[in-house]
Amino acid sequence: MQSLVPEPIEILSGVEDGEAARHFRFRFCGQSDSNLKKWQSTRPGQFFMLSVPGAGEAPFTFTTLPNAQGEFSALVRRMGQVTGALFERKPGYTLGARGPFGHGWPVTDGDTEKVLTEKALIVGGGCGLAPLVSLVEHLINSGTPPVALVYGARTAAAQVLNPERKRWQSQLPLFDIVQQGNGCQYRGTPLDLLPEVLNQVGEPERVFLCGPEIMMHTVAEFFVQRGLPASAIWMSIERRMHCATGTCGHCYLEHQYVCKDGPTYRWDKLAPLLARSSGAGALADFHC
Amino acid sequence: MTDYLIDSPITLAKHIGQSRDLWQLKENDSGERGWQLSAPEIFSALRSPDAMESAKQFFFAPRENIFQFDGNQFRESLPAPEPFALVGVSSCDLTAIAYQDHFFRDDPHYQARRQQALLVGYECLSPCAKGFCPSVDAGPGAREGSADLVLHQLQEDQWLLRVLTDTGARALEGLVLEKAGDAAQTQRHNQIEACIEAFPDDSHIHAGIEAINSNSVAQETWDAAGIQCLSCSGCTTLCPTCSCYGTSDHTTGDTMIRERFWDSCLYDGFQREASQNNPAGAAGDRVRRFWYHKFSREFFQASDNPGPADRYGCVGCGRCEVTCPGVIGVHSMMKKITE
Repeated sequence: MQSLVPEPIEILSGVEDGEAARHFRFRFCGQSDSNLKKWQSTRPGQFFMLSVPGAGEAPFTFTTLPNAQGEFSALVRRMGQVTGALFERKPGYTLGARGPFGHGWPVTDGDTEKVLTEKALIVGGGCGLAPLVSLVEHLINSGTPPVALVYGARTAAAQVLNPERKRWQSQLPLFDIVQQGNGCQYRGTPLDLLPEVLNQVGEPERVFLCGPEIMMHTVAEFFVQRGLPASAIWMSIERRMHCATGTCGHCYLEHQYVCKDGPTYRWDKLAPLLARSSGAGALADFHC
Repeated sequence: MTDYLIDSPITLAKHIGQSRDLWQLKENDSGERGWQLSAPEIFSALRSPDAMESAKQFFFAPRENIFQFDGNQFRESLPAPEPFALVGVSSCDLTAIAYQDHFFRDDPHYQARRQQALLVGYECLSPCAKGFCPSVDAGPGAREGSADLVLHQLQEDQWLLRVLTDTGARALEGLVLEKAGDAAQTQRHNQIEACIEAFPDDSHIHAGIEAINSNSVAQETWDAAGIQCLSCSGCTTLCPTCSCYGTSDHTTGDTMIRERFWDSCLYDGFQREASQNNPAGAAGDRVRRFWYHKFSREFFQASDNPGPADRYGCVGCGRCEVTCPGVIGVHSMMKKITE
């Protein structure tokens, strides 16, 4: 049975990290060892349903995966009813969590569990960097850091996960770009910067994307045009969810449910679904 | 399983009613047919189940509590109904229940209700107004395993009582009945064949299904239907296989409860996110996806889906055609997309 009842967690801390964004640390309350083991099996790119009692429930990605003490982190941007209420809660307050859900990033070979060592390039946009954090950390810890991380934001003030990006500066080539204002080396979008990035680091063998969907689509097409197979491009998409068990219907994408079949998708699988679901064929020109 | 002859559904109801609450379709004061609790002594003669209300609400509740929260712990609010029987469920609605049994197979709230139910089917002898169950393999004969017991009228005072499950066989224990012979089975077969023959032309349904599965429907057709859709949720509420739901929190004093309630994929805000991004912001896209969900083979063939059994999501009850104020119910829509 798939319960819709959350498990209690408490807020340990919340650190401001970008415009209207806060990096929360949570801990499970009184969990059994077997239950903690379930949470410790979380893969990078999976998500959980966060309950803020009285306000509702919504999906969030893990920035750090649950550890042996049952602690984990999530970056949250204040946006709607659930996040608005969350930002009013203080450390020690009891919330709820269900999960882990969904397919994470393909960090290992599905058959052998061997860590994939292709040259990975990562592109994040805005809060979309959050689902990529545990992937970046996993690749670094596996001894195969990404060949580059390109991070785009609207302004320097809107940049999130600042401590993480600062730490990564010594571990991998990091390219920050903002669309407006100063405070960053590059101005524009990640797509504008990619030719220069590739001049410096070479062509990747695998690309991971998360950010506004139109950014992910155009970046994916950029790489397809350069000859990278669409099957080597992965992205994580966002949808409204009320259950995460594939029954409420809210996250449908054609015949699939993003909570079960996603949220990470391979571009050659995702593009045809998006092309059909967008009706007028706005995405029909994608080459997969 | 042994099949029997019985003089009247009332005889069956009086027996089953000794151990279960009985529900049957009856007219209310406004003349509308719906499911009513019916004690054995007031159980009335069965007639064609033709009713706008399906049996969906008995298992997938229109509104129910999921859990309550006391500030520290979340406590599940599972329903615990007494054993009950639905007597006179049409074959199309039985097929819909089987479909939802599969879709909600891991849902503890659905299953808590479903496991208390005894389903007694009713096989229609003539087509209902907008129904097309034979076109989508849902009737008029009850599908194997879709009910515990099935009633089929042979004469004014003689019914064939088919036993499809062990639960059904146990429900008959203590009731002395004559075993049905070949003649009764042959008569049933012939009456069902005659009923199928009496259905009107369904070529537009088959053509529509093929058009949907070949993605050959023009976007302009869906967009035009989107303009006609009032987002009233009449179709999704009455559809016996529609299963979308939302959740909401309510706080009273120190206790908070989370409810789930029937939602509709045809509402403008169904997929709208907190950022106001709406992947299904165009009404035509929502209408297209609704029919795609009902008739796409790709949908039920998706191996990872928790969802549909290996059949279409439409059971041919025709309720959407009757209720839709925008004239985009199933017959109207299938004709539009194949014009």
